[in-house]
Amino acid sequence: MFAATHLNVQNMRRQSLVQILFMLMTAILILPVLIILATLIYKGGPAISFEFLFSDPRDGMTAGGIFPALVGTVWLVAVALLVSVPLGVAAAIYLSEFAPQNWFTRIINLAIINLAGVPSIVHALFGVGAFVLFFGFGTSILAAALTLAIMTLPVVIVATRESLQAVPLAFREACWNMGATRWQTIHRVVLPNAVSGILTGVILEVSRTTGETAPIMFTGAAFFLPFLPESVFDQTMALSLHLFVVSTQVPGVPDEMPYGVALVLIGMVLAMNSVSIAFRMYLRGKKKW
Amino acid sequence: MSKRTLVAALAVSAVFVTASAEARDLIQNKGSDTLVNVAQAWAETYREVNPDVAVAVSGGGSGTGIAAMINGTVDIANASRAMKQKEIDLAKSKGQNPIQHIVGFDALAVYLHKDNPAKSLSLAQLAEIYGEEGQTESWSQIGLEVPGCKNQEMVLVSRQNNSGTYAYFRKAVLGKKRDYKMGTRDMHGSKDVVELVEKTPCAIGYSGLAYATDHVKLACVSKTDGSKCVMPSVASASDGSYPVARPLFMYTNGEPTGSIKTYMDWILSDAGQCIILSKGYAPIRDVTCPPATN
Repeated sequence: MFAATHLNVQNMRRQSLVQILFMLMTAILILPVLIILATLIYKGGPAISFEFLFSDPRDGMTAGGIFPALVGTVWLVAVALLVSVPLGVAAAIYLSEFAPQNWFTRIINLAIINLAGVPSIVHALFGVGAFVLFFGFGTSILAAALTLAIMTLPVVIVATRESLQAVPLAFREACWNMGATRWQTIHRVVLPNAVSGILTGVILEVSRTTGETAPIMFTGAAFFLPFLPESVFDQTMALSLHLFVVSTQVPGVPDEMPYGVALVLIGMVLAMNSVSIAFRMYLRGKKKW
Repeated sequence: MSKRTLVAALAVSAVFVTASAEARDLIQNKGSDTLVNVAQAWAETYREVNPDVAVAVSGGGSGTGIAAMINGTVDIANASRAMKQKEIDLAKSKGQNPIQHIVGFDALAVYLHKDNPAKSLSLAQLAEIYGEEGQTESWSQIGLEVPGCKNQEMVLVSRQNNSGTYAYFRKAVLGKKRDYKMGTRDMHGSKDVVELVEKTPCAIGYSGLAYATDHVKLACVSKTDGSKCVMPSVASASDGSYPVARPLFMYTNGEPTGSIKTYMDWILSDAGQCIILSKGYAPIRDVTCPPATN
């Protein structure tokens, strides 16, 4: 027969204490998210209207809408994705599937980790030096999006490489044994099985790209631009910078306006994230292992 | 990734890149945070005047604008200080030729209650009133008796510390290193300062000249104790005799031509100068403006 000794009881108590403590800590984690969302919806909700979303700013940015900023953010994210996803995925495939494990690969890995740790304002200055001045793109969507792309490249590379490495080696071996080349194996077997993980990286990138202010401030985003951008060589307004501007730079902005801009910014990220999360779940459902 | 998506992605990027074929006239305008709201208002109004020209406005500070002018990445640089000779030389060595245009003045008036008998105040007196460890706490200390002011204790009205007005008044009156006294009422707008002074007999405040109303008194300010004081006005701000005023600049690369010239001419016209006046700065000359609509 098993009877709980004094020591057993003490251990069990200790365990439940730890469990409760950790649960509380987890709950604290959710708090900021809830508070931020609730504040934004409560204070910014009244600002949101059709006119707010789809018209230009008026009266020295104290009235009217945010349409140019909204469109600008979409441009920046789209161009940044077009650059960083192919580049990042290709680099990750090479590192994971082709590269020999030698000092050179290790240096590249180290560089990627370091690139991820560079503060965004340093990326901004790099962007000014490289894209605006050296390559002569001027302050433009192209320069800003390239800066963002470089900044988010490590996210894509790391996520892609990890999801490639999560595909069991047996899959590849089976394929090779059938006489397939490495590329055929990657193309037909590894990539389809890794795509949901790659998407995770892309989601993270989109979220970060949408919210960043520093890298675009000097490379392509304007305080005010009364026209929608027509090409990548135009400047643009952007939601993140617009939020900074209406909350700190312009006198006489109605209180609900900055909150409204912040709400749209967060809403945009959440919307894009949920689309890709839904897509990822669909793909994961099709996974055969 | 299938071949089709790859082709689609390439096609989309090609559209992005080639759509620039028929770009409209774009003027890049960047610099001073003091001027950024005026620049924005100019740009916003100018699209009604000339819809074919787009003016992109960015802030970042006078330094940002001047650096962009030196690097040749901007058409018009805004600055609330003049370019230093060193900066002009650097710009010239890079093939730019910055030309200075004065587009307005930032004149700060010292506001007093209507019943305040003060005739003039010197910069030194103002520094003792506003500056950290300044000795002047009451009106009687400078030999005044303000009717309706209990104990003759001064109420100092100031601005929040991220305001350009706050920074410039500090620099012009207190000197770069001296801080403001504790216990000032920090208002969040130029207009709020004037409104509070209007209602408070004990008050003294500073704000843009353009915010003056008939219900407040403007102090006559002298550079040194005993020297002749100057009333703030558009004229005294323009000729530099009023001590708390600075010119606001725009720099172009060479004498402006084409759409940049048209834009600069419009800024200096009555229409443009009325906008700078409505934003609380002094225009470069007397202009008659239609009453503000909002």
